[in-house]
Amino acid sequence: MKAFIRKQRYLIDFTLSSLLRRPGKNLGLLVVYSLIVFLLASVMLFTHALRSEARLVLADSPEIILQRMVAGRHDLIPGSYLEKMGRIRGVIGKHGRLWGYFYDPAVQANYTLMVPRDRQLAEDEAVIGAAIARTRGVSRGDFLTFRSTDGNAYSFRVSAILASDSELVSADLILVSEQRFRTFFGIPEGYYTDLVLNVRNPKELRKVAEKLTLRLPDTRPILRDEILRTYDAIFNWRQGIVFVLLTGTILAFVIFAWDKASGLSAEERREIGILKAIGWETSDVIRMKFWEGAIISLSAFLLGYLTAYGHVFYANAGLFEPVLKGWSVLYPEFRLTPFIDGLQLATLFFFTVFPYTVATIVPIWRAAITDPDTVMR
Amino acid sequence: MKTLLSALLLLLATGLFAQPLELPPPGPRDTCPVCGMFVAKYPEWVATVLYKNGHAHHFDGAKDLFKYLHDLPKWAPGHDPKDITAIGVTEYYGLTRIDAHDAWYVIGSDILGPMGHELVPLETKEDAEEFLQDHGGRQILRFDQISAPLLKKLDQGQFD
Repeated sequence: MKAFIRKQRYLIDFTLSSLLRRPGKNLGLLVVYSLIVFLLASVMLFTHALRSEARLVLADSPEIILQRMVAGRHDLIPGSYLEKMGRIRGVIGKHGRLWGYFYDPAVQANYTLMVPRDRQLAEDEAVIGAAIARTRGVSRGDFLTFRSTDGNAYSFRVSAILASDSELVSADLILVSEQRFRTFFGIPEGYYTDLVLNVRNPKELRKVAEKLTLRLPDTRPILRDEILRTYDAIFNWRQGIVFVLLTGTILAFVIFAWDKASGLSAEERREIGILKAIGWETSDVIRMKFWEGAIISLSAFLLGYLTAYGHVFYANAGLFEPVLKGWSVLYPEFRLTPFIDGLQLATLFFFTVFPYTVATIVPIWRAAITDPDTVMR
Repeated sequence: MKTLLSALLLLLATGLFAQPLELPPPGPRDTCPVCGMFVAKYPEWVATVLYKNGHAHHFDGAKDLFKYLHDLPKWAPGHDPKDITAIGVTEYYGLTRIDAHDAWYVIGSDILGPMGHELVPLETKEDAEEFLQDHGGRQILRFDQISAPLLKKLDQGQFD
């Protein structure tokens, strides 16, 4: 065992020095290779992180959201619908929610205003997300003033700044009191943005939704699973677009790598011939070349993946942001929580490192089994 | 005095039965003694038999629970039915665990459990009737009506 490891070490040592003998060519290959891994890994990490964030956000969201539709558009829903729907078996809780969007021209971003259920706020009080505090430069005790739709300006005293696992949830959030919310947006008493229902058994969700559409025909129930599926579809679609844009680059790389890996230059043939002439066995030559391919592809993979990680989670994926985030360009800046999916990592590894290493082996084997005399001549 | 005391005891007892049962939850490695599947993966279906010494068996559905109860020597050798202190099933609508003797069971519905056709436990008669309507159930059963041949037929998808 020890002898085997020592042999591999010598082979790697030899391979490295032979790689360094052609620094320009090999370094170029390494750079291009890393760049490809970097691009692919960035897209994968970014979309996966967004998807995980969405899942995190929706984990606490209610199972069913009920919206009232007027002429195909989402409208305010009367609180009386809570009684009108009656008792539905399987529903363990229901209440109305008040929330809405507000565009702040000062920082050109959209905020989400919401009335919290779990805390009581004074009329002029507001709790804001970390990203708003950052972009507006406010801290606890400061005042935020917004102009409402009726033309009046309303001041909110910032009483706390939200902390959360996921910045995507809280970044643009402002929690306000119910009374202030109604005056600010002009929503009459007794009306809500939507109603939410809690259902314990996920198997009963479809039946509850069915009963809701029968009893309240002017409403539309939205299931949490549907929202999740929609998010997944959107992110998959966006990921697909970026991949399509990258296909050209990837193809160019494949041709380049194939050429480099499979076509042996005359010089390389000569090298193999000499090695065989001084007593190397065919298996040693193949092993040496295997290490060459493995070293290049492994270091390119590591380099590319690490830079992609830095790009997505520290530099906010500056390269793809406009394509992948979509509407949220009108969004206060936020940081993604790092998520890494083992399966995704393995897939990327399998599709980059593995084919390259294999592609190097075959031509070497063909060169190595020929007579050294013919090769050198 | 004696009647008053017994009345008080009765009141206490009924008061206790109305509450959801306090049973230990299945651990991540607990398997159903009848089918061998991990129970904690199916929180909507957990059924539990609790013994006097605090040790419990968990099942991934009422069907396996009844198979177990009908043939204790086979599924749990060395256990005495007299030592059983509580039998709980997970009620469909609220997912709370209730006493298996008080539950109403619907068979033949379109709601399938991890082991296929199930006895779906419900808390009240009204719940059971509405469930039967909503999900195309065939029959409402009580604890004592569930027999070994019925369970066998249930496995084959026969409900009459």
